[in-house]
Amino acid sequence: MSGCDCSKAKAELEEFLHDELRHEDAADIREHMDDCVDCQTEHRVGVVLMETVKRACRETAPEQLRSEILTRIREEQSTH
Amino acid sequence: MATALAPTRTRLPDVSTTLALDWRAMTTDEPQATPNDLVEETEAQLDAVEDEAEVVDAKTVSSPELRRLFEDQALPFMDQLYGAAMRMTRNPADASDLVQETFVKAFAAFRQFKQGTNLKAWLYRILTNTFINTYRKNQRNPYQGTIDELEDWQLGGAESVTQSVSARSAEADAIDHLPSSAVKDALQAIPEDFRMAVYFADVEGFSYQEIADIMKTPVGTVMSRLHRGRRLLRGLLADHARETGVVPDAASTATMRGRGRGTAAASSRTNREGER
Repeated sequence: MSGCDCSKAKAELEEFLHDELRHEDAADIREHMDDCVDCQTEHRVGVVLMETVKRACRETAPEQLRSEILTRIREEQSTH
Repeated sequence: MATALAPTRTRLPDVSTTLALDWRAMTTDEPQATPNDLVEETEAQLDAVEDEAEVVDAKTVSSPELRRLFEDQALPFMDQLYGAAMRMTRNPADASDLVQETFVKAFAAFRQFKQGTNLKAWLYRILTNTFINTYRKNQRNPYQGTIDELEDWQLGGAESVTQSVSARSAEADAIDHLPSSAVKDALQAIPEDFRMAVYFADVEGFSYQEIADIMKTPVGTVMSRLHRGRRLLRGLLADHARETGVVPDAASTATMRGRGRGTAAASSRTNREGER
């Protein structure tokens, strides 16, 4: 058991999820979660939330937007 | 929240509007990237960069060359920028206008962009600037600037600490199966600064420092917005799952119950005070 308990893990789970922790701190969290179902589950909710948002927000720009942008950029270039 | 939710159609100003590009602040934390460092960038950017294996000096290239460079490197981000613009403006017409203005402004400033630094983050900063300068002025958002000072209990959201492991496991399953429309509705219902912090981190995978640069706010504020935004979102999604019967009642969040999905933050202060 490393120097990582539930309160430390819970406090840092979000940074862990976003890959913002230093390598050693992330390793502590990972090690703690190996033995802690509670923190594992909490982490899983975080992962699912992230993946769900990512999936829901996937957008494709309207077809005409690209050509509109290209036209505007070419206009811009000709005025310079 | 009411004013923020109303989808207002706003014309964007002319391209000639000056663009405050305080770009140096955004790149100081990054090492001077060599072409090899770019391997760590997103795939879309990588694809764009691969076409430019030789080092190009955007300051001296000819005008047509600069345009070609811009089209190769920046345009692949169009769908991503459009996705962010949709979360900002809430409707396709304004999102298209916003993305178009962003590219026009970015092209006008492209000679100043330092090749090899983070183009994606640079584009997002221009997008965010353009959005703030054109939309927020017209929105008169009542909580803007004060939302960061609200206490957690005033915001509400998930109270995961009190939930059992099985309840949270069920919550994760339920969230996983929610339709995209429900997720987008929930995102629209949380304060804009929280929503965009969540979007930049969870959808775009920007680092906290990059988000701080894009939103022009300290990293600590980014972390707070992100934490609170995700917490509110989780509460709304768990509630939605419970309402639609995807998850047993025990896994829902008491704090959000009985509250309309469009009023999570704005009404939480009064509601919560009334409960106490």
